[in-house]
Order: sequence, then C-alpha cells, then structure tokens
Amino acid sequence: MRKVYVVGVGMTKVGKHTEVSMRDLAAEAISNALDEVGNEKPEAIVVGNMLSSLVEQENLAALIADHAGLRGICGLKVEGACGSGGVAVLTGYLMVASGLYSKVLVVGVEKLLERPTPDTLRGLAYAADADYELIYGVSFAGLNALIMRYYMSKYNVKREELALWSVMMHQNGVKNPYAQLRNEITLETVLNSPVVADPIRLYDACPLSDGAAAIYLTNEDWKKLSDTPVLIAGVSNAVDSPDLSSRFSLDELFASRLSAENALRMAKLSVKDVDVAEIHDAYTITAAVSLESIGFAEKGKAAKLWSEGRFKPGDKPTINPSGGLKSRGHPVGATGVYQVAEVVMQLRGDFPGVLVPAEVGLTQNVGGVGSNVTTVLLKR
Amino acid sequence: MTTIQRIWRIKNILLRLISTRCLECGFIAYPPKASCPKCGSRKVVEEELPKVGEVLTYTVINVPLKGFEEFTPLIIGLIKLGDAKVLAELVDVKPEDVRIGMKVVATLRRSTKTLDGVIPYVLKFKPLTLKLNTTT
Ligand SMILES: [Zn+2]
Repeated sequence: MRKVYVVGVGMTKVGKHTEVSMRDLAAEAISNALDEVGNEKPEAIVVGNMLSSLVEQENLAALIADHAGLRGICGLKVEGACGSGGVAVLTGYLMVASGLYSKVLVVGVEKLLERPTPDTLRGLAYAADADYELIYGVSFAGLNALIMRYYMSKYNVKREELALWSVMMHQNGVKNPYAQLRNEITLETVLNSPVVADPIRLYDACPLSDGAAAIYLTNEDWKKLSDTPVLIAGVSNAVDSPDLSSRFSLDELFASRLSAENALRMAKLSVKDVDVAEIHDAYTITAAVSLESIGFAEKGKAAKLWSEGRFKPGDKPTINPSGGLKSRGHPVGATGVYQVAEVVMQLRGDFPGVLVPAEVGLTQNVGGVGSNVTTVLLKR
Repeated sequence: MTTIQRIWRIKNILLRLISTRCLECGFIAYPPKASCPKCGSRKVVEEELPKVGEVLTYTVINVPLKGFEEFTPLIIGLIKLGDAKVLAELVDVKPEDVRIGMKVVATLRRSTKTLDGVIPYVLKFKPLTLKLNTTT
C-alpha cells in the first residue's frame, strides 16, 4: 500500500444556494482544490452523495467531472447515507494506496434545500430501515430522540447539559466564513426552540444544507504539489444495523467505536495524540455518543465534560472548531469531505476560522443513527 | 410512501412479530436477519415475539414524516419484548402520560395509506391496563 497525502482542499460556503445548481456547487469546490495544486489534472474522481434523487439527478460522477472539465477521467459515486462523504474519502484513499491511480479528487456534494422540506425529511429518513421503521412514520430526528431519552435516563444527564453543546458550536462557527449559521446563541435559544421530536428541539439539530467540498489525494511521487502535504495516517469504516431495534446497545455507537479503534491502530496513534477533531454532531446527543465511542470521553460523561469547559479551542482535543454540523451545517453527502478539508487546513495552519495548533487530527462521519461510520486520522 | 407490495411481503413479520434467534449464540434479532448479527452464523430460526412488553424509550414527533400528518403528534416507542426490541407507534395514551418502563400490549391498528391507496393494518402498542394484567 502506498502512502496517501492530501495536497489540496476546496469548499463552498454551506447554506441555502438557491441560485447555484448541484453541478456548479461541486465545480466551485473542485476549482478551489485544483487552485491549490497548480491545476494538475486528476486521473479519477470519487463523488460522495446521499440524496441527489431529490433533484432528479443520478450519474453524478459523469455529470460533475464533465462539468468541471474532467471528461475522460475515471469516475464513480459512493453512498453511505449522511456518511457518504466519509466513504468517498475512504474510496479515494484506496484508489491511491493501491497504486492504481496517483491523483484522485474526492468531492462531496449535496443539495437538500431544493425541494420542499417534507420531501427532504422523508429522503433523509431513507437512511433508516424502510420496511420496519419508516412504516411507522418515524423521522430521522425521532430515531435520534429515542437514543437521547434513553441516554439521559440511563446516565442521569440533564437537558441543559446537552444543550450547551449547541451554544459551544455556534461560538466556533461564528468565526468560520464557510459556516451556515454564523450567529451566537444562548442556552435559552436551545431550550426555548420548538420541539421537533421530544426531547430533541430545533436547536439540538443541525440545519438542512446545500454545499460541496473537495480534497485532492496523491502519493509520495506527487506530494510536492503542495508545500504542506498532510498524510492520511489511518482510515477505517464500520457498519451497524440501520434499524435501532436489533442494536447490541442503544447508548453506544458500536460502528463508530470500531471505526475509530481501527483507524487509530492503522495510524499507530492513541486517542490521546489527537489535537483537533471534527465529529458528526447531527444532534446534541450525537455529539455525546460520538465523543464517547471515539474514546474522548467515558460512557455517559461527554456532556459533563463539555459543561465543565472541555473540548473548546485551547483544549486538547479541540472538537469542531468549524462549528460542527450544528453551525457549519450538514450538506449530508458532503459533510465527511468538509471535515477532512477543515482538519487538513487546521494542520497546515490556514483554516480561516478558529485555528488550533495541531499535529494530529481526526474526523468522524456518521451515516444513519450510527450505522455507517468512517474515521480518518490526519498527520502533518 | 410505502407500497401494497411491501406490506404484503412483510405482513407476517409485522403482524406476528417474527424475529430470528441464532442457534449458535442465542442472539435474537428483530427485524429478522438472514444471518446472526452477533456471531455471523446462518443457523437462525424464526421465533414469534411476545405481544406484551415495556417501553425502553420513546419520542413524541411533532414534525411528521410526509404521509403521517394525520397521526401527529406521533408517539414512537422502542419496546422490549422478551429478549428483543421492537420499534412501533404507541396509541391510546397522551404524550405526557408515556413513561419509560410502562407496560404495553400490541393492538391491530390502521396505518397510513399506501401509494396505491390501500389502507394497511399494522401492530401498534397501547398501555396494558390492570384488568388485562391479571388475565395475561
Ligand atoms: Zn449468533
């Protein structure tokens, strides 16, 4: 296996892009990434996307490559629900590590705000089990709410403690020019926001987003394309049941734990080595169980830790300096690529928002309610 | 929205709550799996779950999924039935009266129309009354 480096990144602002088509969003992210590598033409493109069917478009690799002036290269799309970006990074990694390609562009793109919200929410619920869960009308927020109530009851975690996560994320996101929700909020903002799926309130949840991000992957021979190449030291994915019913445990993200353990082992790193991480906080409860599954907190203790001021800029690890899904936003199939691009910029020292001194970074991207999880370890 | 084909295909599982039990390690899975999620064994047998259990966790959904507007607020519970868990709607109870640990029993109820305009029936769960409790 060849070593794999990230030598270029690009992204669009996350938000509602009514004026911009899906292909143009992707082309903008690609253009920004190609600018960083002197416009060196990639040999292959991997697209991460979950719900392009919402805009009645499949065959995304062909559409995007062609639109971006890359007609003729190898192209494919991968899907892992909200974790599609993560599996796209893993796929791109494999294509370079195997030696089959030397220069691979990974693009995550999503357009969730094109259709009426009920259509989008129904589409997002496709990440769950259609036969045995959707048939009861349970929304994606509803599934996460089941976990949240179980967790709060089992570990005696207070509503207010979980809500503090959102406040912290908006504090970070306000400084991120790419973030969707760039406003500070208070605990009251969260606690007084409408109940979506009790106990989940609107401000426990990430927004619906459009956006695209790209990373340029290459091997030892081409890492000179960048003055500051960042090594992908470890990458691993694990799956769990899409349904909650047959889970081994309701308060642990089993696939996230396995994926983190494997990625850390591959990178020969310990969780204690991580300086900065971008994790998948789709809901405040997702932040808690994610931190615990990766090993940043003991079971049931994550919210206690952040209530005491942990994980903020200056702490090791600093979590979600981008503002996370909560504030940066969650263009689902693009999120895993945003996370890697952001952590690469942290390690290079050029992230335009909250910047933390870092040698080792981690990303964790979750599909479904923890059913498809990719962890990436990045090293300067 | 769902289709009549889907409801027809899985009606036995939905209405009788058919799980799979692993003959190697004993793990019981609902929904049923082709192989054991715990040990990977293909030696699994179908097993009907009890229809009385208790609420492990629940949510009250105010923003309904498309097609379920008439059932909103929608109460969804994860219900412990023997050694398995089943996700289903909770009915005949006010949202504010649902509790973790509450005993519930399966009941046949109307669901939302399929794409083809058919009204399917599914199992939902209602509180187990004291009177019922003494007879079961
Ligand atoms: Zn087994």
